[in-house]
Amino acid sequence: MKKLIASITVICVIAFGLDRLLSHVMWQVNQRSHDIWSYKIKYLYNDADQDVILFGTSRCNNHYVSSIIADSLGLSVYNGGISSSHNIFAHYIALNILLQHHTPKVVCLELSADDFQKEADAFSSTNIFAPYINKSPDIDSVFRVAGTYWPFMISHLYRFNNKACENLAGLVLNWEKDDASGYQPIQRPAVFPDCLEKEAKAEIIDSQKIDFLQRFITQCQRRGIRLVFMVSPKYTKVAPGYYDALKSVAESRGVPFLDYHSAGLFLSKPQLFHDSSHLWDEGARAYSSLFASDLKRLLER
Amino acid sequence: MLFNSVAFLLFFPIVCLLYYAIPANMLRARNLLLLVASYYFYMNWEPAYALLILTSTLITYLAALGIGYFKEQSKRKLCLVSSLVLNLSILFLFKYYNFLADNIALLLKATALGIDIPKFGLLLPVGISFYTFQALGYSIDVYRGTTKVERDFATYALFVSFFPQLVAGPIERSNNLLPQFKERHLFDYDSAFAGFKMMLWGYFMKLVLADRCGMYVDIIFNNVDKHNGGSYLLASMLFPFQIYGDFAGYSLIAIGAARVLGFRLMENFHRPYFACSVSEFWHRWHISLSTWFKDYVYIPLGGNRVGRMRQYFNLMVTFVVSGIWHGANWTFLCWGGLHGLLLCIEKALGIGRTKYVGVRRFCHWIVTFILVCLAWILFRANNLQDALTVIAGVFTNFAEPYHALGTFIGIAAAMPILVIKEYMDEFQLHPLQNLANNWLIRNAGIAVLITYILLFGVLDSNQFIYFQF
Repeated sequence: MKKLIASITVICVIAFGLDRLLSHVMWQVNQRSHDIWSYKIKYLYNDADQDVILFGTSRCNNHYVSSIIADSLGLSVYNGGISSSHNIFAHYIALNILLQHHTPKVVCLELSADDFQKEADAFSSTNIFAPYINKSPDIDSVFRVAGTYWPFMISHLYRFNNKACENLAGLVLNWEKDDASGYQPIQRPAVFPDCLEKEAKAEIIDSQKIDFLQRFITQCQRRGIRLVFMVSPKYTKVAPGYYDALKSVAESRGVPFLDYHSAGLFLSKPQLFHDSSHLWDEGARAYSSLFASDLKRLLER
Repeated sequence: MLFNSVAFLLFFPIVCLLYYAIPANMLRARNLLLLVASYYFYMNWEPAYALLILTSTLITYLAALGIGYFKEQSKRKLCLVSSLVLNLSILFLFKYYNFLADNIALLLKATALGIDIPKFGLLLPVGISFYTFQALGYSIDVYRGTTKVERDFATYALFVSFFPQLVAGPIERSNNLLPQFKERHLFDYDSAFAGFKMMLWGYFMKLVLADRCGMYVDIIFNNVDKHNGGSYLLASMLFPFQIYGDFAGYSLIAIGAARVLGFRLMENFHRPYFACSVSEFWHRWHISLSTWFKDYVYIPLGGNRVGRMRQYFNLMVTFVVSGIWHGANWTFLCWGGLHGLLLCIEKALGIGRTKYVGVRRFCHWIVTFILVCLAWILFRANNLQDALTVIAGVFTNFAEPYHALGTFIGIAAAMPILVIKEYMDEFQLHPLQNLANNWLIRNAGIAVLITYILLFGVLDSNQFIYFQF
């Protein structure tokens, strides 16, 4: 038994030492990586100082051409959409990462069904932000609810597990775009989407997600940030009242909600889509012009 | 409960502590603890399906009692046949009925008879093929007189449901595992350390190797129409490592966990990709299943004691059944059939039994590896159409493969370590054996491996592939 206890002690001590040492190395890798996620999160954390910041998932990342919106508004714009950060838990962390050093004038949040529907493993998208744990109580609050806070506190290296290989790949390849405005265009697809699927109305609403949406609004309103919600076009039809759960929150808190998906924008133009959920560059440019003029009208009120 | 879940990492040490806290001479209490733990382990998936294990246990337990009780051969046979029919009926209902119904409906449709055959919306119980075969093996062994009737129900129930090997094997034999439940297992540091090391290596194979390869393989095989021959080739070369890491990894965790508790389970994989013939491959791959089929299907059919043509027939039957055992899909049937065919060819050419050296060995090894990889395409593809598209695409639609550098870095973090270890084990090359014997370095090695898994492992509790069987 003595041998066992000695073994466990030695293994724990060495593993702990390696964990702390390598987590420092991985932090440096993360901060130098140009992979598709890290550089944006790092930019939001350190450098973002624009008047208008957009948040959301890949649909935000690929749909909002910052330069078009900036030209229309006469304000500086950064597209902070992060692929894979697919629901409100991740958007809430991204907002709080930004708020550590900068308070923008306007925040635009691209929403989707994932921001109110119940889904399996809803917190998985927050793991890409794990390196930023302990940077603010608001960020930590998401990890506490997710149940990953203590595992991340015990093993600092585990914080980098989710995207360790991609972080390393980002040292070699560069996904950053030259204009540094955050917009990432998708290339024209070989085949345009050809069928119109219908999305059924969600049956189960996730109250935790609605709670974090409320927190998102509170964070912005407390700092005097003007907030706008939007849903960009998809090449699918939706049932009436599909986004009601989100719209009722927006209405009760006085947040404008621009729903281009339910309005059927671009449904007659499949050539603007890369797939049923994403516009390619040409579609994004057409959409950004429309969105920019709508946003301008809203902000002028 | 998955081996690669936080729940298991809490469950296993607690079971070990409780197990060794009970004095070794209180065997019954220890076995009861393991039985409760095993059922708890299984009920984490779907509590209701524990009733199926219990049913299977009861049937085979009573059948064995009957076989032991009756002296007349006909009554003994009746007990055995009842056990086989009832167990295989349950397996058929949950695993094969819908497949058969679909195919009969298709056949009827083709003959212009549009008759709807009712289907059941049943979920496939995890590991049903494994514990059913283990329990059936016991019934047959008792009938043959190669194992004694187990009269203590709790001990027998533990044999069927022993949690380390319950859901994905190794499929244990009654004469190996049952006697171990009657032995006193004192805590042994070296044995526990060896078991822990096996578990850790199993986790490495599953989390770092298999799941990283799976990231690429799944993208290609789940979207066959969107990719080209280059991607098909790469995915087809990675899948053998994914399935090996996944299944051999699971087996190692199972064998290691049992070892920590003082039990010795049979070896299930013996570096299969070093095989120099398909026949040798089956002596190294999923050993517990291939020996099960040899003992309970191939040999009763006549095995090698019959004429040439009958031997080929026996081989084909055994491997087609083995294919179907893996799943209710034409892809598995064809995979089993292809292996059966390759074995028949080897038998006809006398290849399987020869030991080769040097360049000839290398040539046989590479041909065997290519053939096994080719067969794996049938195994992995979602349907036969996809399998044919992938095989044809490699030759007719070759282009630059889809690449994801991050995934490749993950694979590169695991593959060389696996290949070097397997190579050294296969050829008995252990230049650092003296270092490895040093207590501090051994423990440091464990710590390094844990850290490595923490960094490069896919830690979001992916299912093991063989659970679906």
